[in-house]
Amino acid sequence: MTDPVELPAGVRDVLPVEAAELRALGDALDGAFRAFGYREVMTPLIELADVLDRAEDEGVGRAYRLFDDEGRVLVLRPDLTIPIARLVATRMADHPDPVRVSYNARAARPPSPGKIEGAEQRQAGIELVGPDGPEADAEVIAALSYALAAAGVPDARIAIGSVAIVSAVLDGAGADGPVRASLWGALRGRSVVDWRRAAEEIGAEGDLGEVLTGLPAMRGGRELLDRIGTAVPPARSECERLDAVLDCVARHGVAPPMVDMGVVRDWSYYSGVVIEAYAMGAMAPVAVGGRYDGLGARFGRPRAAVGVAVALDLLHHAVGRSAERPAAGIVLVGGADDLVADAVALRRAGTAVLAVASLHPDPDAVAVADGRGYVVRRVADGWSVRDVATGSDEILSDLGAGPWT
Amino acid sequence: MDLRICVPLGALLEGSLAAIAAVGLPVEPLRDAGRRLIVEVPGGPTYITTRPTDVPTYVESGAADIGIVGRDVLLEREPDVYELADLGFGGCTMSWCTPAGDDPTALAIERFGVVRVATKYVRCAERFFEGTGRKAEIVKVNGSVELAPLVGLADGIVDLVATGRTLRENGLVEREVLFESTARLIANRVSHKLRADVLDGLVRAFEAGGA
Repeated sequence: MTDPVELPAGVRDVLPVEAAELRALGDALDGAFRAFGYREVMTPLIELADVLDRAEDEGVGRAYRLFDDEGRVLVLRPDLTIPIARLVATRMADHPDPVRVSYNARAARPPSPGKIEGAEQRQAGIELVGPDGPEADAEVIAALSYALAAAGVPDARIAIGSVAIVSAVLDGAGADGPVRASLWGALRGRSVVDWRRAAEEIGAEGDLGEVLTGLPAMRGGRELLDRIGTAVPPARSECERLDAVLDCVARHGVAPPMVDMGVVRDWSYYSGVVIEAYAMGAMAPVAVGGRYDGLGARFGRPRAAVGVAVALDLLHHAVGRSAERPAAGIVLVGGADDLVADAVALRRAGTAVLAVASLHPDPDAVAVADGRGYVVRRVADGWSVRDVATGSDEILSDLGAGPWT
Repeated sequence: MDLRICVPLGALLEGSLAAIAAVGLPVEPLRDAGRRLIVEVPGGPTYITTRPTDVPTYVESGAADIGIVGRDVLLEREPDVYELADLGFGGCTMSWCTPAGDDPTALAIERFGVVRVATKYVRCAERFFEGTGRKAEIVKVNGSVELAPLVGLADGIVDLVATGRTLRENGLVEREVLFESTARLIANRVSHKLRADVLDGLVRAFEAGGA
């Protein structure tokens, strides 16, 4: 007996059915992104740890680290936004504004014990670098909305918040030092209870007190922004900005996102609008993103930026199974030896041909295993075509008009 | 209403039922559930009953939309869920307890550089001793924690203390409080957004009923 073959914790193989579905999802998202002018870029799987250190982000803590043969620390990219920010700030430094890039790649983060989230995450996303106005935020939200619809989740719900509004409210309430830190901690930990405790310590009164204490639980429509802006004057301009984002999103013809002040991101590089999208069937947000204007400067080219990433594995859980239909194509008995020329001709004519040897013991099993509907054999008066699902045989004189096309 | 509510069995069960009843949801079917683990109320919510430590798992994964769980479990598990309300019941403290008499903690640190801690709450214990600048050797035990210091497995225990009766019966004394705990209402990240109306209404009702 051989020893059990193991994989590292948190990773898994992807077999053909899942791979095909993930590929289709990625293509659908990419199609929507391309319609907005985003072009795909690819960054290396490994980066120097220095790249992540420059981002100075506590979210970087969890990463796979390794050494090169000179003893320098390398990391497997735990996120795509930081590497893309590096790429745009260095290799595309001369590209005129705006820079629009997309990616469909994997990030790796060591699994936490007891969590369902895998160590590898497939992410398809966009980054819009250069423009700093609400129109740019709106474009990213609209592109996300169209992309999710294209992927088969038309009823996904998008929520937006703003790190800048939260920050301005804290300024307005005079929250600083340890209280401010515990408020941010409560918000990142998604604890409305802890937030409220910390907020009550500040002892703000009236409308300001109400807005401060209730902030992470405030959600609804744009009327919220008016309420916050009125109660906390230092937050007004950021509220007006988010209001302008909503206006512009509406002009893109997509459903209005929910305004939710409890939406924050785990990465602290976000500086303005923050975005999450939700779909039934996915246990966590299927897409996350936001504005991160400070990251470019860390790589020597300050430029405003906003982006969003779709978590393909989560999105996969939210889309229904594609209709059960055998894939196009046939299993051709003899296509691997006696009938290679026929296989070639069929492929040239556009039919996928899975070739097996003339003496293959069970071509039907191959057809079933690979999800093909028909097994074709050469017979005296033409071609015998077996429908694997029904087991019925049919004789055709010409394969050009088979039922599989 | 099609809402799935995860309810903890054990010490928080009675308080949870009372809190759920106070917001106007039917709990009688849950009381009469016998050994069933899932109780569907026609036209009402579906209740899922689990061990307290499993509540965050069900809610985090979306198998339940909301759940009731002690803060102790939240701090130990650190699940990625929304903590929406303090329900007020189930009050207790997470405490460091050692045998009666002189507290052995300081002596253990002085002589051996480390204090041995038996607990079910490994992360809470680690964070507490690290946070107070002491090195701890954590021994994970799954039940009858009080036994450990009595037979020399550890210097003391980190455990929940409600009435203190179990401690007294085993000759242990509460020395330091890590934190206070009560029952909390938690929600799945996606349910919290996709069912915003239902959940916001429920949270208001829980806060009105529980306070």
